[in-house]
Amino acid sequence: MASRAAIAMLSRAQRIKSNLQSALEASLLEIEDVSHQHASHAAVRASGSDGETHFNVKIVSTKFEGKSLVNRHRMVYDALADELQSGLHALSIVAKTPQEIAKK
Amino acid sequence: MAAQTISSLSSPLQTFSSLRPGVSPSYRFTNFLFYSSLRPSLPFSSVILKPLRAARFRPLAVSAALKNLSESDLVAVPTDPQEVTVNFPSESGVYAVYDNNNDLQFIGISRNIAASVSGHRNSLPELCHYVKVGVVEEPDRSALTQAWKSWMEEHLRTTGNVPPGNQSGNSTWVPARQPATPRKKPDLRLTPGRHVQLTVPLEDLIHRLVKENRVVAFIKGSRSAPLCGFSQRVVGILESQEVDYESVDVLDEEYNYGLRETLKRYSNWPTFPQVFVDGELVGGCDILTSMHEKGELADLLKK
Repeated sequence: MASRAAIAMLSRAQRIKSNLQSALEASLLEIEDVSHQHASHAAVRASGSDGETHFNVKIVSTKFEGKSLVNRHRMVYDALADELQSGLHALSIVAKTPQEIAKK
Repeated sequence: MAAQTISSLSSPLQTFSSLRPGVSPSYRFTNFLFYSSLRPSLPFSSVILKPLRAARFRPLAVSAALKNLSESDLVAVPTDPQEVTVNFPSESGVYAVYDNNNDLQFIGISRNIAASVSGHRNSLPELCHYVKVGVVEEPDRSALTQAWKSWMEEHLRTTGNVPPGNQSGNSTWVPARQPATPRKKPDLRLTPGRHVQLTVPLEDLIHRLVKENRVVAFIKGSRSAPLCGFSQRVVGILESQEVDYESVDVLDEEYNYGLRETLKRYSNWPTFPQVFVDGELVGGCDILTSMHEKGELADLLKK
């Protein structure tokens, strides 16, 4: 288990990954930093951060079973509360259960 | 034939309207002996016209057959939308739109000329400076189409051209389907401004807002100019559903000060846009897009 200090050294993408992994026991997890697509975003420019503001997240977990889309997204947001407080601006979330993935 | 030709007031630069509210010029249009099934936006094909028959006399207004295009007055389109109904009749008939150079842009037919003019003025202000009006009495479809054809033919005879807006494939002048309303509703504001102190907590205002309005979208920017791609997509989806919705600009620091933080707590949702239906958070852009594609959104809104 990485220590706190070590975790802080990781990029946001890596932190997101590790948070979601532990909180939601994801069987599949894909994180993509797409901040550059929103580089002209007023808030992004204002915050002065260079990237790590917008992410695409694809996550598959049994914990999503029986839950509406809203609630699934809420679970993801809750797991990433710290990130959202510290400059994470937006997430595009695809949240599926293993059955839904298998069906496709 | 009792037709009287009103001495033509119109030079191309005539701008004063000879119409007054409540009095529609009674252009009696008589039947031509041909059938037409064309819609005005289709290319015009040549048709043989028969001479006009006698017009019936109407006591209140000068009776005349539909005036020729060239004899009709140019009426200036007012910039103030309220005034359109002053200068134009809300009647059925044919109308011809001219731009600032007095070039004919489009000939259309309408069940409500004032509304059509207003609609065109809103969407194509640079092309709608003057309009000629031909009200059609007893405006059944064939009478209207015939009026349109007579003007179109006349224009073709005199200029040899089909007006640009009537050419095949041109979709600039979609017939105004709705009565004159601004293209998009203004965004809702939660407060009268920062200078006014709230007597009620912002959360209560939010709560009331989402309960009293069926569909509410909290977006970044205004619905006519969203400032974020996700918000833009949400607006696009709601517009395509043609549902009546309220939009609130969460970036408006004057009228919606503090909204972003309060709303995040209220909905337990950290990002924008947020869409509420029937008082419940439906989700953000991803969820709305997914529902829209699956048809679930239409179902939700139908109920």
